[in-house]
Amino acid sequence: VVLGLLPNDVQYGDIRVVRRTHEQVLVELDGPGEVNYDDSLGLGLRVLIGGRWGFAATHRLDPQGLDAVVSQAVGQARAAGGGGHVVLGAPVTTRDSWVSPLEVDPFAVALSTKLDLLSAAVKEASTAGPLVQQIEASMDFYRDEKVFANTEGALIEQTLTESGGGLMVNAGDGNDVQRRSFPQGVPRQIRGQRGDFALAGFEHVLSLGLVENAAKVAAEAVALLTAPQCPDEVTTLIAGGNQLAMVLHECAGHPMEADRALGTEASLAGGTYATPERRGTFRWGTPIVSAYADATIPGALGSFKYDDEGVPAQRTQLVKDGIFTGYMTSREFAGALGLESTGQARADGWQRLPLVRMTNICLEPGESSLEEMIAGTKRGILVDTNRGFSIDDQRMSFRFQTELGWEIRDGKVGRLLKNCTYQSDTPTFWGSLDALGGPDEWKVHGVPSCNKGEPLQVAHLGHGTVPGRFQNVQVGR
Amino acid sequence: MSIQETQVRQALEILGEGTRLDILGENADLLRYAESEITAQHSERRLRVRARINRDGRSVAGSLETLDANAVRGLADRLHSALSDLPAGPEAEAEPDADHSAPTPRIEVAASVLESDPAVRHRWFSTVRDGLGPAVKLGGAIRYDVLDRVVADSTGLFRAETLTKASIQAIAKQDGRSASVKLMHRDADRIPVDEIPGRLRDALRPLPTVEAHHGACRVLLKPQAANALIATYGYAVLGANAYATGRSAVSGRLGQKVAAELVNLSDDGCDPDGLPSGFDAEGNVRRRAPLLENGVLVGVVSDRRRAELTGGVPTGHAVPDGWRFGGDPVPSHLLLEAGESTDDELLAECGSGLVVNRLDYLRVLHPKETLVTGTTRDATYWAEDGELVGWHPQLRFTFRMEDVMNAIIGVGAQRERCDQTFMESVVVPSLLIDAGPLVLP
Repeated sequence: VVLGLLPNDVQYGDIRVVRRTHEQVLVELDGPGEVNYDDSLGLGLRVLIGGRWGFAATHRLDPQGLDAVVSQAVGQARAAGGGGHVVLGAPVTTRDSWVSPLEVDPFAVALSTKLDLLSAAVKEASTAGPLVQQIEASMDFYRDEKVFANTEGALIEQTLTESGGGLMVNAGDGNDVQRRSFPQGVPRQIRGQRGDFALAGFEHVLSLGLVENAAKVAAEAVALLTAPQCPDEVTTLIAGGNQLAMVLHECAGHPMEADRALGTEASLAGGTYATPERRGTFRWGTPIVSAYADATIPGALGSFKYDDEGVPAQRTQLVKDGIFTGYMTSREFAGALGLESTGQARADGWQRLPLVRMTNICLEPGESSLEEMIAGTKRGILVDTNRGFSIDDQRMSFRFQTELGWEIRDGKVGRLLKNCTYQSDTPTFWGSLDALGGPDEWKVHGVPSCNKGEPLQVAHLGHGTVPGRFQNVQVGR
Repeated sequence: MSIQETQVRQALEILGEGTRLDILGENADLLRYAESEITAQHSERRLRVRARINRDGRSVAGSLETLDANAVRGLADRLHSALSDLPAGPEAEAEPDADHSAPTPRIEVAASVLESDPAVRHRWFSTVRDGLGPAVKLGGAIRYDVLDRVVADSTGLFRAETLTKASIQAIAKQDGRSASVKLMHRDADRIPVDEIPGRLRDALRPLPTVEAHHGACRVLLKPQAANALIATYGYAVLGANAYATGRSAVSGRLGQKVAAELVNLSDDGCDPDGLPSGFDAEGNVRRRAPLLENGVLVGVVSDRRRAELTGGVPTGHAVPDGWRFGGDPVPSHLLLEAGESTDDELLAECGSGLVVNRLDYLRVLHPKETLVTGTTRDATYWAEDGELVGWHPQLRFTFRMEDVMNAIIGVGAQRERCDQTFMESVVVPSLLIDAGPLVLP
């Protein structure tokens, strides 16, 4: 109906109608638990007139709302006065429907079952003693029901269900506060939306082992209070796959998004070292490292069948044998680079314009193992679980902090260390990589909290990683 | 106001006792540009209805995009069912009731934003682009927001306001260098767009690039950089819950000196120098909260749960349900009192040191220790004998904010209105930091 309302000067138009359902269940120390249900339905309309985009979104799906959204999108595009040139590449004409696989529909699981599991995790974590100040166990479920249509003839329905859960423990002794997260860290304060997520059903939450690991995680938080500080030194760094997920995200994911390379993020997060003229020649890391984006990995949080322009999910090589080789693109930015879209246009709900977004950014596994890396290290630091990070606007200089660290001495894991950070710049860090874990250690970590764009959009994505060892890295507090 | 009071009352009736509604009607219009070309234009309309029901120590919440009675009934059914599934909670701590009698502060609504027209934003864009000339590439965004807000609850509280905001960010790039300006106001007509090209050209001054300096030196933080410091400090340490639970670096130090004597910091949601708004997500009226006076900690900001720390009256700093920066009260409208020094005088006092226009991606590594890390961005200069002598390579700082707050030896007389993703407005002048806590790597 909406596409039929478009005037004749519209060169291209597409519409996405999206219903997003979100359920969050959260249990804290000494609390009865909390439940949150979110439901959002609306549409976003994008038109191209005179080579200029106009986008409008509305929650009003009545005739007046639809008329208004057409008028606003067309008005925005026309206001630019034409003169633009957008190359969209091959038309998208797919007609299909797809539902992401799951074993147990999380929205059909009784609330009491969810509360019982989380309460048991909190109870286990509370056994770590009185220095435990805060425990938060949570699970979140999302369902996006999306219909996409464009003026080229595409009509695609997709339903994606995501599930995740996690645990956070804060311990304090009056002088210090330390945090432990499980299965992975979330570098922010939001309640819930913690842990590991997947494009899957309730079975994913059951597989996380929240209850089984809760006591250990809480004990680690308490132990960190009296652990020695990470020393300031240049040393060998071994990072767990969980930790490398976020490094890969910042060092390869964002910099290799084509919109960033073409300057459209300059006013926000910034630019990138991965400029078009460096593609195919820039040495990003040692020859043992290759990285790719892949939206076809079953169950991974960044997977789908079609992106938000109707382009099929695919695998895209980003780094091959240490050389930066490719970009993640949408139709527009692929066209600007003389390429075809790699299917990475994604929008955060109906109300946002699709942006070039990561899907699942993965390291190809190597030939070593965490055990071998440690055994082969005379002196170094082992770190895991991200606590926070900062990276500059060109995605070069970074500093990461981890929740956990351990000394490595003469091939063995030694004392627990707190407040471990490491800093470097992207090509130096990945250029110091000398070992990567093998296929047995490769795991996808689902992250539901990647921020980008203005207005801000939050993307759900995955990172397939293995442990890695890096030489001569500056570590410290 | 796009939100009808009758619909709100009806929704409260459906949801029942213990309900609070926090409703936002959002209208955002945006023009984005890069490399001096328009790249996107958005027009986004949405209604966000957030409901929370608290009964017998149990708490459930939900949200919708409509106030349609049938949809609200559907949500009510789910929330009531969830309430019955939750175990009974501990006895709820006594909180002050919503103060119905306090009048809602009146915030001026700007017709210049209400009557938003894409042509105006295009004129702004052309003014800045053409004023810079073809050799300079322009990136950034122009945004107009109209926000209709209602907070109402089943005890009869009803507060409503309309907030307008216009902002322009302009990043100019030339020869591998960049400079930025960001201006905002509740009234678009009060934004001096014509001045932006001159400010950017001035910032892109043709100085040589100097070798990176190392070690400690004085650092002059221009207002955009001071914004990042003050906002991050306020967020990390000046909330009542962080204070009460011992997670704040200043916990237990009310009445003690925690910053340099030149520092006078307050939070005032009604001060027109910021981006005023009248009440918080619980419907508490925003009150002026003195925080630091001559460097002494005199207060924190609170919501109803932590009102005992602020004389039993919440300061109006409750955050919305599901806010991505946490659930604790934090400052929302910080104002750092201006000093007496012109920027030239601060530069002269800086002597040989670094001048930072923007601190970017400032992230907290250890909240209790106020340890943060971030990088400089968009015009970092080196000064010798109080004169700018060159562009300094961008660099990363890792420092304790408390050390920097104690090393402030100069405060500028001219303040700028800024914002942060986690703070509605921050009004700050330039700050001169003595050599010591900021070490050039």
